[in-house]
This record gives sequence, C-alpha cells and structure tokens, in this order.
Amino acid sequence: MSQKSEVTIPHADPKDPYAFPATMPSSADKEPRSFDPDDFPMPTRKQDDWRFTPIDRMEEFFTVFQPSGLTKVSVSMIDGSEPPADQVSFSRIPMDQAPCGTVLKPSDRAAAVEWASGKQATVVNLRGTLDQPVLVRVDGGGPELDAFHLVIKAEAGTKADLVVEHQGQARLAEGVEIDIGDNSQMSTTFIQEWDKGSKHVGNHRIHLGAEASLRHSVVSLGGDVVRLRMDQDFGGEQGDLNMLGIYFVDPGQHMEHRTMVVHNHPNCKSRVVYKGALDGIGAHTTWVGNALIQPTAPGTDSYELNRNLVLTPGAIADSEPNLEIENGDIIGAGHASSVGRFDDEELFYLQSRGIPEQEARKLVVRGFFGELVEEIDVPSVSGHLMGVIDRRLAAGEDQEMQHVLEEN
Amino acid sequence: MSTLEIKDLHVSVETKEGRKQILKGATLTVHSGETHAIMGPNGSGKSTLAYTLAGHPKYEVDSGQALLDGHDLLKMTPDERAKAGLFLAMQYPVEVPGVSMTNFLRTAKTEVDGKAPAIRQWTKDLNDAMKRLRMDSKFARRSVNEGFSGGEKKRAEVLQLELLKPKFAILDETDSGLDVDALRIVSEGVNRAKENTGMGVLMVTHYTRILKYIKPDIVHVFADGRFVKTGGPELADTLEETGYDQYLPEGANSESALA
Ligand SMILES: Nc1ncnc2c1ncn2[C@@H]1O[C@H](COP(=O)(O)OP(=O)(O)OP(=O)(O)O)[C@@H](O)[C@H]1O
Ligand SMILES: [Mg+2]
Repeated sequence: MSQKSEVTIPHADPKDPYAFPATMPSSADKEPRSFDPDDFPMPTRKQDDWRFTPIDRMEEFFTVFQPSGLTKVSVSMIDGSEPPADQVSFSRIPMDQAPCGTVLKPSDRAAAVEWASGKQATVVNLRGTLDQPVLVRVDGGGPELDAFHLVIKAEAGTKADLVVEHQGQARLAEGVEIDIGDNSQMSTTFIQEWDKGSKHVGNHRIHLGAEASLRHSVVSLGGDVVRLRMDQDFGGEQGDLNMLGIYFVDPGQHMEHRTMVVHNHPNCKSRVVYKGALDGIGAHTTWVGNALIQPTAPGTDSYELNRNLVLTPGAIADSEPNLEIENGDIIGAGHASSVGRFDDEELFYLQSRGIPEQEARKLVVRGFFGELVEEIDVPSVSGHLMGVIDRRLAAGEDQEMQHVLEEN
Repeated sequence: MSTLEIKDLHVSVETKEGRKQILKGATLTVHSGETHAIMGPNGSGKSTLAYTLAGHPKYEVDSGQALLDGHDLLKMTPDERAKAGLFLAMQYPVEVPGVSMTNFLRTAKTEVDGKAPAIRQWTKDLNDAMKRLRMDSKFARRSVNEGFSGGEKKRAEVLQLELLKPKFAILDETDSGLDVDALRIVSEGVNRAKENTGMGVLMVTHYTRILKYIKPDIVHVFADGRFVKTGGPELADTLEETGYDQYLPEGANSESALA
C-alpha cells in the first residue's frame, strides 16, 4: 500500500459549493456504533439522523420489544426450484452465534433495538457460480411487531444474485448483514411490496471484500412507513460498490432511504443512484446519501445521485447528499440531487397523442425507473424488477378506480 | 368524409393582469381532403385556436363550438380528441424526459387505434417512416423531443402524424426553423399522410415558401382573434406584398402586436 505524503485538499468554488464539496460543512454522521440501544439517545426530530422522519409513526421501534415471531421466510431459486445444496445453504441460528453480528455495528437506535430484540437469525450462505438468482421471500407477520435478522454471506469468489422480497402486512424491525468475500461478484436486491398499513424499519450492514463487486438495489413500492438505512465499508483494495434505489410513494406514505458509504481502503469505487417518484398531496420521501472518504483511502472514486419526480403537486421529497473527504489524493467525489416535476405541458403533450392522463403518468414513471433498472445487467433480476414496478403501476390504477367508485 | 366545424369560438386565458380574450369569434369549416393555410400576424391567436381545438387546459372557451363530424370536441379530454381523429403538430413540441420515443409512439398508437399494433408491422412502419423523414434510428431510443434540435422536433411531429393517421391535422408553424432540405422532407411527409388517409389539413404558416410543397386549396387571413379574409392560393402572394396592416383594427399594426 503506497502512502503519499502530499495531500491536496480541493478548494470549493464559492459560486458552486457542490463542485468540490471538500470544504462543505460535513454532516456525515458522528453517531456511535453499538449493539446497545442505550448508547443511542431516544430519537427526536432535532437529531440529524431523524430530522426528516415522522418519529411519532414509528415509536414502537425505539424500545426493546418481544418479537411476535410471525414473519415467514423461505428460500428458493427465482424460478421456484430448490437451490443447489452444495452452493446455497440456509439455516436458522441464535443471534449470539457467528456470523451474526460480524458485519459492522448498528448505527442508530432502531438498528440496535432490532439487534437486542431479535432471538434468531436467518443465514444464507453462498458459494461458487450460480446460474440464476436466489430468492428469499419474507412474508410479513401482520400488525404485531416482529424482528427479523438476515445474514447473507458470500464466500470468496462467489458469483451470484440474490433477491429478497418483502410482501404482505408487516410491522417489522429488520437487520441485514451482507458479507461479500474477496473477489466475489454479487448482486443483492431488496424489494418492499408491503401492503397498506405496514411499517418497516431496517438497517443493512455491508462489508465488501477486496476486489469484490456488489450491486446493492433497494426497491420500495409499498408500506406506510419504510425507513431503511444502509451502512457499508470495504475490506481491501479494488472494491466496487454500486447502490441503486427506487421508491414510489402515494399520499400518506413516508419512505426514507439513507446510504452511508465509507471508503476506508485505497482504490475502491462507489456509485449510489436513487430515484423516487411521488404522487399526491402528503406523499413524503427522504433520501440522505452520506459518503466518507477516510485518510486511508487514496485513489477513491465515489459518486452519488438522487433524482425525484413529483407527479402531482403537494408531495415532499427531501434529498440531501453529504460528502466528507479526508483524503485529497482521490480520483473523484461528487454528487447531484434534484427534484423535478412532471408538468402540465408534458401531460398535455402526451394526452394530445391519445394517451389518457393516468396512462401518461405511468409512462413517465416507467421510463424514469426503467433507465435505472436497465443498468442492472442481470436480465433475470432487471426483468423481475420491471415486473414488480409494472404491478405497482397497475395497482395505482386500481386505486384510481377506487377513488372514482368511492366518489359515486 | 369528415367535417371539422369551428363556430364563433370565443376563447380567453387567465393572465396576471386578469382575463384576456384572444379568440373573438373564429368560424371555419374544413372537410376531409382539404388543405387550408392560415396566415396572420404574430399574437393574433393562431396557436390559441390550435391549442383550444386540441384541448390545452390553459385556454378557456367562453362561447362557440368545435365539432368533429357533429361530435362536440370541447366536451372531450385532449386524449379523447386525439382518438376522435384530431392531431396537432405543435409550434413548440414539448420535451418529455425519461420516456423513449419508441415507448411513446407505441403507446399513442395503441390508444388511438384502441388496440396494440401487430409488433412486426409496427416496427416496420416506424422504421420506414423514420427513414423517409431522414431521421436516424437512434432517435427512437431517445426521450421524447429531449435535446432534439428545432428542426428535429418538427420532423418528429410529422413522424407522429404519419403514424397516428388522424382525420384532421393542425400544423402550427411546422415549417418554421427548417432548412431548405428539411422543409421539403417534412412537406413530403405531410403530403404522404394526406394521400394515405385523405385527412383535412389546417396549416398555420408565416411563409409562402411551404405553399410550394403543400398546396393549399384555401388561404385564410387570421387577425385579432378571428378569420378576416378567405381566398384562393393567390391570397398568400398578395399578403407577402401587402402585409397585414389592412386587416388589423384601427390604430394597431403588426409591430405593436409583437410588443
Ligand atoms: N397563457 C397566456 N398568458 C398570457 N397571454 C397569452 C397566453 N397565451 C397566449 N397569450 C397571448 O395571446 C395572444 C395570442 O397568442 P398566440 O400564441 O395564439 O398567437 P399566434 O397567432 O400563434 O402568434 P405567432 O404567430 O407569434 O405564433 C398573444 O398576445 C399571447 O401573448
Ligand atoms: Mg403561434
């Protein structure tokens, strides 16, 4: 590992503070990392981490609780077949047993509460090259509060794709540990298709080995309150992390995604791209993207992007990238964030070609997300995702019909 | 045989200074197979007429009628008007980021026809139409109008016209901003569409040069919110020489309409 003595800190352009964010006030979090809930104060809107969160709607996630144990989990290949036993193993183990608790530590109170409340963890171990994605299905256990802990462990040199689908009705505290061995090429995709009334508070803790690549995708399309926080670090040089997110919210829903990328080794690359669509008054989304480039990480290449599309007025999209650069010898660090509107002129244009209003919105949302999904170069995963998005768009139509029916 | 009837149309818009009346009794009948050229000074309300017929929500109809084969267009949503057979090639086509031309065109075709086009035939029709309009096939993958040059946008409008096959097409300055070759290519596209479908055409233009390619049966002068004179193709040449002053209200001229 080469250590360069000269460190050049890029200077900010006062006219464009985002061009070189080095001297931006950093709000990359300084919260503790701990398994003990009491190491974290009770969340309030005054704390940076909880500034955008409707705390009163998820208070039950802040105190250690007795899990209902009703959440169901099953593992298969994406076509429904049995996974090859020599490559995919699936077990339930007590939380105090490795590999539980080996990937980072909880970064906020909700994550520590999940850890302290859970009794058993589900471990999926992967090795070798898999020719189709593994599907982990998580069925919500209804309105009673439950904790679910999932450990995904890819041994060194694994080439595999894994999809986690969340469905049904749930009030779920979830902890996910993702441990990607050296030289692996992995994708993990988490889909939230919760029913109305569901709540989901989760923490993903990711460790990416040397020369390994991970595409980590999060697709949140259902649930009243969904708050997912992703923490990550690298285990060596040449790690390549690609995080992708998609969220779609209706009135009354709050969806929050926080990514914390930590560059702690030289010559690693990270990309974070999250896109959200908001439809209707009171629809609320939050994206906070933190990236920290430590002094130990020269040659870092990091970029994060968040785009929001507001389909109808009255929705709120919070978007906040934070970069903290403690190393001047990097390839790049940048971010962009935007909130765009689907405006009346666009709508009129599509309508004037015969496309009804509702169909026009779908077309725009499908295109907006489709651009991102296309980047997933695993056809069975991207195809699956477009299917999920189409299902969500069709459900929107049903809701629209319901409004019409209710009004009559 | 179809008929588009515009009867004594009065239209206004809400502005910061209050309500502003733009159309002041526009009346016109167009039949299938006819080509009408509409010429008139800037700000006289030609685009307003076009947008009103297409159903743009900004324009408020105060009185009058617009009928397509007796059906009341003004009661329909913009998409219903398109399905009824009306097409507006816009003066300023709108960019719709994130929606690919291919997806857009296929969706529009499906809606207008009431059924999805057979995929093979559709792909062929699309490719052929693009080739004839000298549009590179990569445009199909780009977002609707996004980053298209002025001339490319106009070609894309005519592409849609050819594919959607309306009963009546309103072309709002489709010839503006085109180079000499593009003018010919686009005109040929319009003529082809007309030959294939027998549609009626309302062509808003400021220049007689397009009338060399698209021969109008009738030329109208539109000024101060209404049709003020109707004549044969020769009227266009007269206008070229005399301008619009004689058609404007007392004390006004085409310069002040611009101000
Ligand atoms: N939304 C609006 N708010 C305010 N004024 C408007 C609006 N829309 C149109 N107008 C005004 O109505 C008048 C007619 O506009 P319109 O675009 O129909 O003219 P036009 O005949 O198409 O002109 P041009 O030849 O320049 O294209 C203009 O004075 C214009 O400024
Ligand atoms: Mg105009």
